[in-house]
Amino acid sequence: MKILEVQDLHSGYGEVRILWGVTLALQEAHLTALVGSNGSGKTTLLRTIMGQVRPEQGVVKFMGADVSAMPPYSKAAQGLILVPEGRQLFTDMSVAENLEMGATPARARSHLARNLERVYELFPRLKERRSQKAGTLSGGEQQMLAVARGVMAEPRVLMIDELSLGLSPALTLTLFKTLTRLKETGMTILLVEQNVQMALAISDYAYVLAQGRIDLEGPSRELIQNGQVRAAYLA
Amino acid sequence: MQLFAFLIDGLLIGFVYGIAAMGMTLIWGVMNVINLAHGPIIALGCFGVYLLATQLGLHPYLALLIVAPLGLVAGMLFYRLAIQRVIDAPRLSSLLATFAINMIVIGLGTAAFSTNPRALDVQLGSLSFGPVTILGTRLVAALASIATAAGLYWFLYHTRPGKYVRAVTNNRAAAELVGIPSQQVLALSFGLGCMLAAVSGALIATFFPFTILSGDVYQQKSFVIGVMGGLGHPLGALLGGLILGMMEGLLPAFLPTTWVPVFEFVLFVIILLVRPAGLFGGKK
Repeated sequence: MKILEVQDLHSGYGEVRILWGVTLALQEAHLTALVGSNGSGKTTLLRTIMGQVRPEQGVVKFMGADVSAMPPYSKAAQGLILVPEGRQLFTDMSVAENLEMGATPARARSHLARNLERVYELFPRLKERRSQKAGTLSGGEQQMLAVARGVMAEPRVLMIDELSLGLSPALTLTLFKTLTRLKETGMTILLVEQNVQMALAISDYAYVLAQGRIDLEGPSRELIQNGQVRAAYLA
Repeated sequence: MQLFAFLIDGLLIGFVYGIAAMGMTLIWGVMNVINLAHGPIIALGCFGVYLLATQLGLHPYLALLIVAPLGLVAGMLFYRLAIQRVIDAPRLSSLLATFAINMIVIGLGTAAFSTNPRALDVQLGSLSFGPVTILGTRLVAALASIATAAGLYWFLYHTRPGKYVRAVTNNRAAAELVGIPSQQVLALSFGLGCMLAAVSGALIATFFPFTILSGDVYQQKSFVIGVMGGLGHPLGALLGGLILGMMEGLLPAFLPTTWVPVFEFVLFVIILLVRPAGLFGGKK
């Protein structure tokens, strides 16, 4: 089943159009990767799906319903969750409070204790630092917290913008493994990633975005073999 | 010893100033709006208690418990009517919006109540410790202010809506992303700020005479205190209130009372020049 569908999406900022008709779909319980060079429109696409940027044209469908005009907080309440670029933590609040805020959607709030246990198990480091202010964490810990805060919402779809940006290879590997575990629990994940090789290695399906359009798409294991992708991203 | 008595008196009033300033600094911290309607809402707090006491015969402290939620509701209404539409516009727009509320409240208030001073006659006796005499009304006002500040902190740190207020203060876009309806939280925050203003006004009415115009003086004090404590830092505002209260208590011992505002605003300018983030840290 397609849980999230984007059809012919055009969007941008004021006079500057970034997306020129993007169409993509996420299969439920799949891990889909979205790759593309800097400035290709990946972040704008996520922001438009979420409703932080209003689409100029096109439709965003979530669980079959048109949600194009819905504000971000309503989408989050329904289980469409974005872990944004730059983490956007509540830096003046504690780690535990950040996670509690992650559990704002009503469906997640009743399972707060259980989910807290789950993310502390995924990220034991966060448990150690739970009463520390989020702003005092290291970059890697902050990224863990950003993902953990997203997981606290019991997302139906979890979209992650630049998971590995600025992280050590070891930590990147840990986070990728965590995503695989989350997928196994039935979560649908859209991963935006600069590390194309790793993104293709763990995802089921992938889209390549270039200059605001989907340039290429297909099952990830086919894209890895694709000469065009290899030349552009994996050389 | 006489000085000590002035000091205590100033400190007690300082708590009330602190509450008014907390309201202003809370609103600034959450939404970067300088609330120029703060003064008129303080005045409405005075009149609220006055009318409930004189018309319905309620005890002023009982009236205070009614005025506080009314302040909350009025603030939320003001936010929805005037501020929400300009919250993302350049800061001058929200400044003008709150100034418009200021003018409207003062205009209507002047028409309804004239500008003749009113006063409540609250007699609570006084406590004497040697040469120091503390008026009962001021002691109660200080205690009520402390309770209000403690209540605000409990709300912000131990309840879910309170944590939403802190989350929106910290990062509004991120709050939306986790599912917090930020406009509702902003309305609530503006309401809380106005509630604090109304409570301080209600307490002021128990020991000072007032008119609908009186609020502006306390608004200016709130601003000085807010900057002193670090805008967006509620506890700093309470401490700043105490400092200002002490100044008001002590300075008249050496100078004519009319010099007090001069010193207050000179202090204000010095703080802006030397420590623009305030004495106790806070949002820049």
